[in-house]
Amino acid sequence: MARVTITVNGKPETREIRPRTLLVEFLRDHLGLTGTHVGCDTTQCGCCIVLVDGRSVNSCTMLAVQANGASITTIEGLAEGDKLHAMQAAFREHHALQCGFCTPGMVMSALELVDRNKSPSDDDIRYWLLGNMCRCTGYHNIIKAIKAGAEAMARAG
Amino acid sequence: MNELDASKFHEIGRSVLRKEDFRLLTGKGRFGDDFNMLGQAWTVMVRSPHPHARIVRIDTKQARAMAGVLAVFTGTDCLADGLRPIPHNPVPSTKYDMKLTGPGGNKVFVGSHMLLPADKARYVGEAVAMVVAETREQAEDAADAVRVEYEVLPWLERSEDALAAGAAAVWDEAPDNVLVDTFFGDQERTDRAFATADHVVRMEFHIGRIMPLPLEPRAGLAHYDEHTGRYTLHFSTGGPGIVRQKRQFAAALNIAPEQLRLVAYDTGGNFGAKNRPYVEHGLALWASRKLGRPIKYRATRHESMLTEYQGRDLRTKVELALRSDGRFLAMRAENIMNVGAHGVSLSPLAKGSGLITGSYDIPAARLRSRAVFTNTTPNNVMRSSGRPEVTFAIERLIDTAATELGFDRIELRRKNLIRPDQMPYTNAVGSIYDSGTYEANMELCMRIADWGGFESRRRQAAARGKLLGLGFANYVESSTGSPKERAEITVTPQGRVEVVIGTQPSGQGHETSFAQVVADLLAVPLDSVDIITGDTDIVKEGGGSHSGRSMRHAAAVISMAASDLIAKGKMVAAVVLGTMPDEVEFQDGRFGAKRANRTFDFLELAKEAAARAPAYTPANALAVAKDNEMHTSVYPNGCGVCEVELDPETGRVHLTRYAAVDDVGRCINPMTVDGQTHGSIAHGVGEALCEQICLDPSSGRPLTESFMEYGMPSSTTMPFFTTEIVEVLSPTNPLGIKSGSEGATAGAPAVVMSGILDALKDFGIRDIAMPATPLTVWQAIENAKAKLRSRETTMPPARTTMIEGVGKGE
Repeated sequence: MARVTITVNGKPETREIRPRTLLVEFLRDHLGLTGTHVGCDTTQCGCCIVLVDGRSVNSCTMLAVQANGASITTIEGLAEGDKLHAMQAAFREHHALQCGFCTPGMVMSALELVDRNKSPSDDDIRYWLLGNMCRCTGYHNIIKAIKAGAEAMARAG
Repeated sequence: MNELDASKFHEIGRSVLRKEDFRLLTGKGRFGDDFNMLGQAWTVMVRSPHPHARIVRIDTKQARAMAGVLAVFTGTDCLADGLRPIPHNPVPSTKYDMKLTGPGGNKVFVGSHMLLPADKARYVGEAVAMVVAETREQAEDAADAVRVEYEVLPWLERSEDALAAGAAAVWDEAPDNVLVDTFFGDQERTDRAFATADHVVRMEFHIGRIMPLPLEPRAGLAHYDEHTGRYTLHFSTGGPGIVRQKRQFAAALNIAPEQLRLVAYDTGGNFGAKNRPYVEHGLALWASRKLGRPIKYRATRHESMLTEYQGRDLRTKVELALRSDGRFLAMRAENIMNVGAHGVSLSPLAKGSGLITGSYDIPAARLRSRAVFTNTTPNNVMRSSGRPEVTFAIERLIDTAATELGFDRIELRRKNLIRPDQMPYTNAVGSIYDSGTYEANMELCMRIADWGGFESRRRQAAARGKLLGLGFANYVESSTGSPKERAEITVTPQGRVEVVIGTQPSGQGHETSFAQVVADLLAVPLDSVDIITGDTDIVKEGGGSHSGRSMRHAAAVISMAASDLIAKGKMVAAVVLGTMPDEVEFQDGRFGAKRANRTFDFLELAKEAAARAPAYTPANALAVAKDNEMHTSVYPNGCGVCEVELDPETGRVHLTRYAAVDDVGRCINPMTVDGQTHGSIAHGVGEALCEQICLDPSSGRPLTESFMEYGMPSSTTMPFFTTEIVEVLSPTNPLGIKSGSEGATAGAPAVVMSGILDALKDFGIRDIAMPATPLTVWQAIENAKAKLRSRETTMPPARTTMIEGVGKGE
């Protein structure tokens, strides 16, 4: 067993875990944060993306022990009470989700994009999202939502 | 039937943001893998590596001795416990479905889908044993240690393999592998028309096997309670509705349906993949009782790709007879569906059979529809099942006829489209199209696509060395599906309107769109309406989201229930107002009577009535339940225009524009309908450009086992879409609804391939098999160039109107 302390959504969490525990298993099974989804097990679909020290990471391909000491943000950590984060609100406003399974990964991935590029173009967004799959929307509304979300975040400073 | 006053609608027709989104955006969704119980064990399957093999012996000794292993079960154990096959009931059976039969008009043999087979494995990935262990990792390790001795048998991949003389039999009960062989239409009339035709155009296609591929792998938590004797399964589903699945699982487990509770809330996509029961869920329920432990299962992506029910795989030969002026006279078709190892659903074959003549007035047709078993993953409905295949055939046939016979492809269509004054229109195989303005759709779509501006864009592309192609196709599809639906509506004194409904979403947004209908019909605030689904202890009847049926069926039964609830409301209001029920009126959302000075809306009435409890009895409570059975089909229709930019050096196709027009009947929520259209287009685009299941020809093992190998459309595959909704109300149901989720998929493969072939027209390429990968396109160009070079040295061939054997699509 290995002892890890990982700050998740601002709260330090210390657990004894088996060393082969994946970060996504740590989040879902140990902390009950089931908003992070597993869609492919092999780092292709992006449903499991979380921010690790601000960078988007596929949590199905990182061991929890590798995240020891890191600060992690999951989809559960964005809204403040009933108030959605600007990117979440943009997804709702633009109907960028249908079944909602890829959505947490999409939102978390978009946050790193906006962190790197305050006003991404449609093409910037399309290429950034090559690691995020969606089967419901044809991506149309997701692109629009991320652009609008970036603008809203820029306005809010 | 459109007696509802649409002028009073406030919510219906409005792009209301979704009630579902807050929970889904904050990680509070409840998907199949999100349920856990203390003391749960895990199950992992042992799967066949062979497409066809007799199970000689399964040695579980080593696996059972491993750390954490609780049990290993095989098909023999299932038989010993009296388990039964899953009753798939694959033959569509509403009154207006095409009536498929076995050869000679006999009953259709569909195979026997036991939870684990005891005799043979019939496709790669079929589960032959289950391991249960304390953890998933322990179960995985033990599954590797189960030794299965197989006698490998000859195997079949394609329909023509199954039909070949001397082919191996997938099922002993169907030695020739044929489960369906049915003829439709008038042979004599069709033959006569062909005999007198000026032109006959023939083509042959294979619309290949693809995957529905929802992003959520199937998962579930099964629990048997020894004190109540009841089984509970938390999982995710959508397509069939949980009521039907409850009956199917209960039958397979050989228990009474009342002993089983299914719970499914959020579903991470379906598209047909979750429309039929999976053995793993049944096995987890069974093992939970045997072991006295909750048991959890989650498929890996690899398992999903091997064993999730698949779609398409139709071989079709089509012939069209034309008069010299371009009028269509008759059509012949031979369709063969490859169902895979089990007859899980024949809906694609039946749906396609009813629509072979497409959107056109073709007076006579003759069709032979067959289905065959092969050693491939069971084939099922996939988004728009059956319609993309036959739409592809007729639309490609018309494009080819136009090219060969010198007609403009749009004018040829215009001349033959079914006109609004012909509605309701009975086609040559008996399908009754309810309504539609097909030519107007076509005009609208060409306008929003800027059809007229194509030529200048083509020249611009040519200047960059690229070939620009303009694609077009019409479609008409049929929305049928399970005929029964039930709604229970209760107005509570707390100010909520609770609506229990049987059908179930998998991302379509029912909590919002159904609430819009309820809000308008009862004149209550949208926010007061709660749509309740997903638990068989609450939901008693309902058909699920398949065949584009949910909005139409739900709105029909809700409007009936609303009428009953208004009648109930008048009774309650009479008590409250101290008058007779027949003096109470419900106007502009309020109950009142001439001699009374107070009026109430539904919410106020419920509160007032509760306050007067003694006079308020269950008999007149503001609660109703309504069952409806609706068999009549509707025929959503529309068209698409696309532009593709093709690089002749590499064969790469880039889809640059896509416009779609869809007649969905009455549109409840334009925002969600547009969203459905976008996704619907994407499915068809994927099929045309990149999706394909490939098997290793030597072993029969799938080579497309992850997103690395399978061509899932990405964020760069498609452009933004331009879409328009057309609302020609269907006369078949109270709100005039058709469907808005599958139409664009029906048309899109034909639209995209039409664009690609238009780009390549100077090469004389008449057909390319889907998917049009860069290699396929490049190869077609190179072959055409070689042919042109050889022609330069010989005489040009005589012009012929017989086009044979193109596009056999391997």
